[in-house]
Amino acid sequence: MSVFVQYLVNGLTIGSFYALVALGYTMIYGIIRLINFAHGDLFMVGAFAGWFVVGIAAGMHLPVAVQLLLALLIAMLAVGLLAMGIERVAYQPLLKASRLSILITALGVSLALENGAMIAFGAGFDTFPPNILPLSGFQFLGAQVGDVQLAMFVLSVVLMVGLYLFVQYTPVGTAMRALSFDQDAARLMGINVEGVVLITFLLGGSLAAASGVMMGLYYTQINFMMGFLMGLRAFTAAVLGGIGNIPGAMVGGLLIGVLQSLAAGYISSQWQDVIVFAVLILVLVFKPTGIFGERVVERM
Amino acid sequence: MVATRLGPAQSLITRYGPFVVLLLALAFPLGVNAYWVTVGIGILTFAMLGLGLNLVVGYAGLLDLGYAAFYAIGAYTTALLTTVFHMSFWATLPFAVIFSALAGVIVGYPTLRLRSDYLAIVTLGFGEIVRITATNLGFTGGPNGIYGIPSPSLFGFQFFSQNSQYYLALAFVLFVLFFTRQLAHSRLGRAWLSLREDESASEAVGVPSVRVKLWAYVFGAIFGGLAGAFFAARLTAISPDSFTYTQSINILMVVVLGGMASFPGVLLGAAVVIGLPEMLRFMQIWRLFVFAIGLIVLMLLRPQGIWPAASRKENPFGPGQAGKLGPPLPLDALRREETGGEGAALRVTGLRRRFGGVTAVDDVGFEVRRGEICSIIGPNGAGKTTVFNCITGVTRTDAGDVQLDGRGLNRRQPHQVVAAGLSRTFQGIRLFKNMSVYENVLVGMYPHQRASVLDSLIHTGRQRREERESLLRCQAWLRFCGLEEQAGHRASELSYGDQRRLEIARALAAQPKVLLLDEPAAGMNPSEKQSLMGLVRRIRDLGVTVVLIDHDMNLVMGVSDHVVVLDRGRKIADGTPQEIQADERVVDAYLGRDEQTDEEVGAWPS
Repeated sequence: MSVFVQYLVNGLTIGSFYALVALGYTMIYGIIRLINFAHGDLFMVGAFAGWFVVGIAAGMHLPVAVQLLLALLIAMLAVGLLAMGIERVAYQPLLKASRLSILITALGVSLALENGAMIAFGAGFDTFPPNILPLSGFQFLGAQVGDVQLAMFVLSVVLMVGLYLFVQYTPVGTAMRALSFDQDAARLMGINVEGVVLITFLLGGSLAAASGVMMGLYYTQINFMMGFLMGLRAFTAAVLGGIGNIPGAMVGGLLIGVLQSLAAGYISSQWQDVIVFAVLILVLVFKPTGIFGERVVERM
Repeated sequence: MVATRLGPAQSLITRYGPFVVLLLALAFPLGVNAYWVTVGIGILTFAMLGLGLNLVVGYAGLLDLGYAAFYAIGAYTTALLTTVFHMSFWATLPFAVIFSALAGVIVGYPTLRLRSDYLAIVTLGFGEIVRITATNLGFTGGPNGIYGIPSPSLFGFQFFSQNSQYYLALAFVLFVLFFTRQLAHSRLGRAWLSLREDESASEAVGVPSVRVKLWAYVFGAIFGGLAGAFFAARLTAISPDSFTYTQSINILMVVVLGGMASFPGVLLGAAVVIGLPEMLRFMQIWRLFVFAIGLIVLMLLRPQGIWPAASRKENPFGPGQAGKLGPPLPLDALRREETGGEGAALRVTGLRRRFGGVTAVDDVGFEVRRGEICSIIGPNGAGKTTVFNCITGVTRTDAGDVQLDGRGLNRRQPHQVVAAGLSRTFQGIRLFKNMSVYENVLVGMYPHQRASVLDSLIHTGRQRREERESLLRCQAWLRFCGLEEQAGHRASELSYGDQRRLEIARALAAQPKVLLLDEPAAGMNPSEKQSLMGLVRRIRDLGVTVVLIDHDMNLVMGVSDHVVVLDRGRKIADGTPQEIQADERVVDAYLGRDEQTDEEVGAWPS
């Protein structure tokens, strides 16, 4: 029992990182029908940005809490702006072209970010300063829960709920939802479509960066290729939840995290991705629109 | 207006270009060092893979992110059979093909009903499953893979040197190129393109979409497996690292960068995706970064790919083609031979369809006699299109019975309904926009063509005869609808009225007993409407029963033998135009009293 709870706790922690990245996939897919292959790499850039800021802030002997806060905020802002820049330069001109051509530029952006990071930070692993985070924790149903784990989980949930409220209750959020239904109609209603798309990328990029900083701190090691696996799993999470659906991405992320943790714990870590993908395929075969996705009715 | 005939420069390229490229490819190893020959083999391997994936992505429009899985299955099959069972390379090829085809069916069958973006993640997952399985199993050699695969040999000649392997690769590419082109220029290839353009329209004009998609998947798998077999024998060692997700993405890049559904495009794409990073080697760590930027810029400049497929074709019935096809069919050949039988051509009884709490169609029944023109009218929301959708199997019915010539059509899929003899057009035009006019009509003939998949692959005499006959009938239908001149145009280039008529030609090409026209006159000007009325009468005179929905009372009352009136999902009147115009309830509900002018009556908002 306690082992199971321990897997669950670890899975939920990782899952909340997945969920933050999955949100970006799902929002961007929801409004421009693009599987943004570069999104996992934005997560990686976020991790490096956080690492960079912590390095400078540590040199200035700032308190640890300030270091971390600065790292998080600056990384979120920087990656958000980067995502906007990418959208403006590489995606916007192709929004009216075939959906596959924009997919290829997304792959190009992904490759450029990975290799750009490799050129800037090297091909090896970079590490956050050791012992920057407290190791304290508490017992919960026989499982060891780190204070850091809890804090990261809470922060992720706060960000997710914040995003949900933003999308549901602000004018920009309403415009985003309108766009996801019918871009032309939204434009005719006077919505600045380009602007709303840019804001979506800003939000998606910031959330990915937050996830990257947390993941970097959690595992302490970061590498220019870390966005690849994250992208794969977060995309899977978004589809599992029903792509285009915001609560779906959150639940999907947590589920993938838990599933992976249980599979690694009870079966073998070598097979964990096989199990995750097998579950995904089974879910899609029996519920083709994902867990929360709605059936799209086609008009003749 | 651009001339339909290709320019002289273009026809020179299409005629002699392939030979020039082949000569260059043959001469390539003689002019470069061994390193570049190796790069050349890499390009050829990716050309094979690209040609295979092109059928899946470029033709059928199915996004596959795990194509390397089939490449892996082919490679592991050959590697295991040669090392464990000491079979020769050539003897392993059938197994490589069969195993990858089987894998294609296993992944494809349960998942091809999914929307394409979901299919993308399923294929991605499948690709990863295959790679991880190969990494973790014992008999596949784990992460180290399999060593000591013998090089291919033929009549005692060992394909050992770089140059000989290059020529073997070239032979494989030519083989794959030949058969993928055969498939592309067949009934199956056209059906794939129509699915890419508009899946539900394709199903509704008679293409069995799931089966046709599965074939795209299986052929993609077969050519991927073949490339894998070659790869294993050439390298003599394979490991799971060669079959990553990144490889799948590289193959996808070959197709999209080159130009979807374009054969020269795929070959060029392979050269760019494999060759360019090699050329950039002098840039060292900047190499892939520069390549990535180049990729983005290229895509921004040419979103359709470097060498996009031509969607405008030479008019196959134009003056330049005279004699090739044989004399045109007389229009009389289009007449339906009377298929006897007593009773109604179409009988609908007790039809009911609910959407959530709304009953869109409630206990509707009517009969259409053979050879008549029947109109269904009623205000917006009366359930007219829903009736059509129920009859044609596009939407499920909750209750009721539909009989065509006395045979039940219930619970059939749209393509089966077309095959049974009932075809339709759509309220919003749904042509295959990026296909030519005549190809649109040829897709409409799918249900009646008999060429099997094997016929399509090797272009048997039977297949060629059928293609010629189909083209002749296609020409006749286009002439019948007044579109022969525009046969080579891209469908989306046609004027609005011509697009409507092309939809009718496409539906007629299925040789229906009954033709359903959903608001054929919508958006037409008065003179176009006049000619449409003439066309509808001529269709009826061919022996085809016509059922149409329209809001234009002049057209409906002028052309119909019989009118059915719906209101809020129920039938409220049924009779001749005179009876309908005199019917109190109909007049009260829509036709209006004298104080309304004719224009208002004639133009219900649509």
